[in-house]
Amino acid sequence: MRRSRWQDVTYRNPYLFALLLLIIALAVNILLQPNLVASATLNSNMRVFLPLILVAIGQAVVMIGGGIDISVGAIVSVVNALLATQIGINGDPGTATIMMGAALFVGMGAGAFNGLFVAYLRLQPIITTFASSFLFAGLALFILPNPGGGVPSLFTAFYRETILLGLPLALYVIALTLAAWALVRQTRYGRYLYAVGGKPDAAYETGVPVRAVQFSSYVVSGLMAALGGIAITLLTGSGNAQVGDPLTLSSITAAVIGGTPLSGGAGGIAGPIMGAVILGLVRNIISFANVETWWQTFVNAAIIVLALAMPGIINLVRRRNV
Amino acid sequence: MAVSLSARNITKRYGAVVALDEANLEIRAGEVLALIGANGSGKSTFTRVMNGVVAPDSGQLLLDGRPMRFASPRAATNAGISTVFQELSLVPQMTVAENIWLTREPLRRGLIDRTTEQRRTADLLALFAGTFRSDLAPDVPVQALLPDEKQIVEILKAVSINPRLLILDEATASLDSRQVQRLFELVAHWKEQGKAIVFVSHRMAEIVQIADRYSVLRNGRTVGEGAMADATASDLVALMVEEAAVASVAQRARPSAEQLATRRVSLQVDDLRTAELNGVSLQVHEGELLGIGGLKGQGQRDLLLALFGSLPYSGRVTLDGQAVHCSHPREAMARGLALVPGERGREGLLAIRSILENLQIPSWRDYGFPLQMERARRTAGAVASRLNLIMAGLDQPVSGLSGGNAQKVVIGKWLLRNPRFLLLDDPTRGIDVGAKAEFYRLLAQLCDEGTTIVFYSSDDDELIGLCDRVLVMHDGKISSELAGATLTATNLIAASLGATRQEATP
Repeated sequence: MRRSRWQDVTYRNPYLFALLLLIIALAVNILLQPNLVASATLNSNMRVFLPLILVAIGQAVVMIGGGIDISVGAIVSVVNALLATQIGINGDPGTATIMMGAALFVGMGAGAFNGLFVAYLRLQPIITTFASSFLFAGLALFILPNPGGGVPSLFTAFYRETILLGLPLALYVIALTLAAWALVRQTRYGRYLYAVGGKPDAAYETGVPVRAVQFSSYVVSGLMAALGGIAITLLTGSGNAQVGDPLTLSSITAAVIGGTPLSGGAGGIAGPIMGAVILGLVRNIISFANVETWWQTFVNAAIIVLALAMPGIINLVRRRNV
Repeated sequence: MAVSLSARNITKRYGAVVALDEANLEIRAGEVLALIGANGSGKSTFTRVMNGVVAPDSGQLLLDGRPMRFASPRAATNAGISTVFQELSLVPQMTVAENIWLTREPLRRGLIDRTTEQRRTADLLALFAGTFRSDLAPDVPVQALLPDEKQIVEILKAVSINPRLLILDEATASLDSRQVQRLFELVAHWKEQGKAIVFVSHRMAEIVQIADRYSVLRNGRTVGEGAMADATASDLVALMVEEAAVASVAQRARPSAEQLATRRVSLQVDDLRTAELNGVSLQVHEGELLGIGGLKGQGQRDLLLALFGSLPYSGRVTLDGQAVHCSHPREAMARGLALVPGERGREGLLAIRSILENLQIPSWRDYGFPLQMERARRTAGAVASRLNLIMAGLDQPVSGLSGGNAQKVVIGKWLLRNPRFLLLDDPTRGIDVGAKAEFYRLLAQLCDEGTTIVFYSSDDDELIGLCDRVLVMHDGKISSELAGATLTATNLIAASLGATRQEATP
């Protein structure tokens, strides 16, 4: 097993592939839409991308820890339904702030529910979170059977229009998450997360609290999904109990494109953030290219399948060359 | 000198198998104790009892004279007992430094102090300086390292807690001679510091070089201990071997070397290489029962899997004078090969399906469309009675069978295909004596019918009692060939350990 320079570089920078894709997607997008980097256009794009970015970060954390969370989209829906019904278009700012804080706890609670089953009862993450996604989706529909409700325009305007020093609000949020992640990477918890995802048996033998770490990763994912839910509510200004559905698969795709292997123990959050942006840009490109809308579904699906299948394809090619 | 650790009358059973039977061990500060024994003598279980991975059924561990009970590996570590694991306890994706200091990272104001961590790691690596590639640095991921370098990291991880008792379980297995010498210099240094070291190794030369005292296990019992200065390598081998046991294996009438030489070579292998095999060449004659011996994990499994086409390999395989290269088990099956895998639960059987289905899985395509169930039942029934399979009926699920009977189903499903080459991967592990005896008779019968058999076993007695010839494997190579008068327990163990002792015993 010799280590190539390429393997070395990709190990240190798991987001390299995402960066490359991001540059290509940006270039094509700018070609089609030259004013993309103008601060108003940038803002109108980034505020649409932000919900997925937040959810993808949570997904990446779970995947680094060796799990997966299929319920993030449903958690987003629950939060959206909750905010739209409890705050209302004419709600007062005080209630709204409290409800948003409560939404974070709802997200963490949902994550804790997943974590309990996966880490302590040792159920399969895919099955568990797939099942709980129906539970959460049902809850969202119970809270908000028909699309409606909303949040005051004061809040949506803040989310949509805030541009500080020429940069959109979303970029500040991203910078904040990156800073938080940089801090986590310097704690023991950060090390434990990677160890648990990489080789749980070895981590256990070394004395890492494997289950607690697994549990916590789902709580983080729930929290990030709740933040994503708040973002999407502020973006749309209205409630729809199915608004989060597409985010589940997209978040996994973003994480995988961003260099987080499904097998866990590697990756980061810079890659998944880029992955989420890439998915958004691709959607832009397709709509600008004036092709029929089914192409958008098709290309999205193709990216997902390719991103998921890539490690397997690489292995297959390697085996051929033995 | 104070006693550091003493294990008294340790017994550990796994089901009906007794791994340790009142085993004893005593080690003092500042000495190296070699724990030795043949395959399956209980060495690994014993070290696992000492480091808290396995709880003994009975017996006592005394640390500095005080009884101890370790609830987890962590508890043993806290008591100053550290183990270099045979199966690596490293996280491949993490760096050398991250692995060594996992859970004990140096902190400054709550955050990991990477500068200190890197420095301490570099200090540890300096212990082995000059014996590894320059690539082995604190910030390199473990998965990028070579096996010997991983082993060094594993050793350093164990040493980094500054243990009072260090257990080196096959720690030298993947090291080269320079690295072993360095390790031994370090061990000498640790001895002076008053550490106690338990050294488990299969390499006799190393044991003689490094150990102060020895303790020999045979079938889970401590059968001898003493000062290394008073014993020779052959004394130790003699202690490890129980010649009388060989008689318990059914002997078969074996063809002489001359008779074998007159038969044609049906399987020839030249320079077979895989990740684990470093160039294996062998010849098997038609109707010969060729044994493969040696310590566990010397490439025996790879050899069988490569021949069966389930492992990519390079080299030449010739069946009946025709060069073949099977890259899928299906091709191997078409050429008359069959493999009885070692992990019968995982690779050999579908536990919840019926005996009939399990027997016919490789053969369904011979029963047409729609499947001729009558004929399938008849042939399956015939093979079941030939194997003396004890069952309620062909429709009984395999999960209800005993180990011996389940193994008969695995063999039976290949017998149904009338294989000309039968590859056996430790087939008698964990099956009872009666089933073993039947199995031995079956092998003899198959050989007489002209089936060529390659038989890997971790049970030396079987190899000696049954095989025409035994090839001993070591480090992915065939290290020696034993046949006729040289095929004795003593020679087999000596060859497995790499000690040179080839003379025939009368």
